[in-house]
Amino acid sequence: MRTMNYVLSGLGGQGILFMTRIFATTALNKGYNILGAETHGMAQRGGSVVSHLRIGDAASSLIRAGAADFLISMDESEAYRHLPYLKKGGKLFANASSDAFPDERVAGYLDKMQIEPYAMEAGKTAMELGSPRSTNLAMIAFYSAFGVGPLSADDLRATVDNISPGPFKEKNLKIFDTCHDVGRKIISGDLYGTF
Amino acid sequence: MKEEFLLGNGAMALGLLEAGCQIMTSYPGTPSSEILPEMVRFSKAANLNTGIEWSVNEKVAFDNAFAAAISGKRAACCMKMVGLNVAADSFMSAAYIGNIGGFVIISCDDPGPHSSQTEQDSRMMARLGKVPVFDPASPEEAREMIKTAFDLSEEFQVPVLVRPAIRICHARQNIKYDRLESNMTKAEFKREPSRWASTPKFRFMQHKALNEKHVQIAEKFSTLTPYNIHNLAKGKHYPFGVVTGGVPSSVIRDLFEEYERDDIPVLKLGAPYPFPEKLSDEFMDACDKVLVIEETDTVIEYMLRDKHKTLGRLSGHVPMEGELLPEKIEMMLNKALLDCALDPLSGSDCGMEAFGLVGSLELPIRKPTLCPGCPHRASFYSIRKALPKAIFPSDIGCYTLGINLGVVDTVLDMGAGITMASGFWNAYIQDDVKKPIVATMGDSTFFHSGTTGLINAVYNDARFILVILDNHITAMTGMQPAITQGDRVDGRKGNAISLETIVKGCGVEYLKVVDPYDTRHMIKVVKEAAEHVNDPDGGIAVVIARHPCVIAFKDEAIPEKFEIEISDECDDCGFCHLRFECPAMVRNEETEKTEINPVLCVQCGVCLTICPKNAIETV
Repeated sequence: MRTMNYVLSGLGGQGILFMTRIFATTALNKGYNILGAETHGMAQRGGSVVSHLRIGDAASSLIRAGAADFLISMDESEAYRHLPYLKKGGKLFANASSDAFPDERVAGYLDKMQIEPYAMEAGKTAMELGSPRSTNLAMIAFYSAFGVGPLSADDLRATVDNISPGPFKEKNLKIFDTCHDVGRKIISGDLYGTF
Repeated sequence: MKEEFLLGNGAMALGLLEAGCQIMTSYPGTPSSEILPEMVRFSKAANLNTGIEWSVNEKVAFDNAFAAAISGKRAACCMKMVGLNVAADSFMSAAYIGNIGGFVIISCDDPGPHSSQTEQDSRMMARLGKVPVFDPASPEEAREMIKTAFDLSEEFQVPVLVRPAIRICHARQNIKYDRLESNMTKAEFKREPSRWASTPKFRFMQHKALNEKHVQIAEKFSTLTPYNIHNLAKGKHYPFGVVTGGVPSSVIRDLFEEYERDDIPVLKLGAPYPFPEKLSDEFMDACDKVLVIEETDTVIEYMLRDKHKTLGRLSGHVPMEGELLPEKIEMMLNKALLDCALDPLSGSDCGMEAFGLVGSLELPIRKPTLCPGCPHRASFYSIRKALPKAIFPSDIGCYTLGINLGVVDTVLDMGAGITMASGFWNAYIQDDVKKPIVATMGDSTFFHSGTTGLINAVYNDARFILVILDNHITAMTGMQPAITQGDRVDGRKGNAISLETIVKGCGVEYLKVVDPYDTRHMIKVVKEAAEHVNDPDGGIAVVIARHPCVIAFKDEAIPEKFEIEISDECDDCGFCHLRFECPAMVRNEETEKTEINPVLCVQCGVCLTICPKNAIETV
């Protein structure tokens, strides 16, 4: 398999390291090699947090601009900030309202680069399900519905099941299933969530 | 066999223990801080009884580990690269004296810089101190290199430097490892004053011996595969080659594989000093031009000594500052290849158009800021309220972010909050001006390098207020335990050191302790301290602003919760979110009033006294 590059972005406190852990644990369980790059220290106090994850046999941890297969962002502004990382034909998943996404100023660029943008209100959905801090899980589940990349929805769900501590297991799986379904409905055309 | 998705710092901790490192010391600093706690974790899991400590500063850490090494044990110390400046005196001297048990120094570089005051290249320090240096290309390589470094250190009886850059320390990689085995040796210091306490005459001899060792080590480094290696085909000549090492060598490997450029040979120098002349000569002889891509300075480039063949920083092909991000490396390779009339790697604009587009979107600027409820914010507010016209020398830690509140005027290095305060006093008093000066410094920084400056200031009768921000933890670097609490890295209790005792021991007579959450009281205390400073019979005034870090000690930090609301009195002056800069305060663009973000608000209640319009109330 060629190296698959994931850029995960969001704001401090949204749990980007936990999100990275879910992807990494799933990849490890499938026997892939993984390299990642994280933000710590002063840079971490800045609010804008990014994690690079490379599944496959890469030598360097940073994904270069124009080389990411997937950009999964827990915040709309942070999705735009990291847009240059997406490659031609890459896929963008953002926690945003599908009515106003993507920003019209980037639509031309996305078109030209054949980047498919998908949005769901992951933060709002997590809040409605009683877990306002689970935007990270919601976005993983949303992404998993599209069946792209080396990690299947079942694989990712199994990791969530395994690493969620007892009292959170049921809640986390409910968020996963709900947000996965939102993605499925967008694919089937029952829901509007793309350009 | 276990497998973990380990931080590079964790991989290095594993390498240290696998190499049989018995004594390990450090002072925290990004990007090095996780090495020590990871070592504790691995050591405990295998019952190794490794001696691991957070030391008071990097020089102290260095000397403690060095003594173990000359007692025959394998020992190491680690720090961020500016920490090596603090330990530089020991570092330079130790190279001459040498060691018995292997002695490895890990100095973590921060090209960017992401979390540091400089972009200095520790390989330069290695040259200055005449210490052999390793420059790992991945977490896994860093782990392996540490073992080689220990072997080399023992074989030649010299300290060895390993300098991982931030993309090694804070990379993560799946790492497999076996159960660690204990291989402890007993301390046995053999008296030899002519070596361990050598006088200048013997130092000359030691310097000569060190230089002779370097000739042998350079020879060894020319065949030190896989760290020093090239992929030239025998007898073939090339128009263009790349010389690299460390993190950029991994990026180049990925780029050449992706673009299928096996026509460009690479010389990788993971152990660049003492310079492996023989290996580099083979490479230079086989290439018409070489591009040197190294982080962050011109170490290899200078040592190649051929300006007619060499492209790099000195020819303008590689930027003199900043991290060598992969897209930048692609861009510089494209340009150098075109300059040599060869095919570039790609026609890609390396993200330039997209970065331009993102720049035009005016996305929210997210500058680093103190956390909601941070006691430092309350301290800074009170200091400014009490003495708005003072000079505010400060220091390195979370509280550097007091710059956003207008209460940090200078940040030079660890300890300079105090030394620059006395310096400002001296500069003004020469003109008969009694300038108000309020220095701020965290508790950990005060122990690191505050006391010498304070003793000096008391002795020389400088006058200023020092506010020691005591939050019971070293927060910025990831919550390492504080000396005042007596907690040690391995969970054992140490002997807590009282700030008050130390401050008084430095000769300070005026000392007050306040809780910064009570801003009214703190404002009053700072004003009284100013009177003492101005009194001809007074002196330096120290105020300890003591309140636990809101992240590390959530319950203790906020014993009483206040649910906050903003009344109609709010006239959108913005003081609370622009000057007081609480992240939980947000401007509602529609109502043109401030609102509370309930997810971010920690209900500390400090804001209740700060609103100029008294519009902040409890529900």
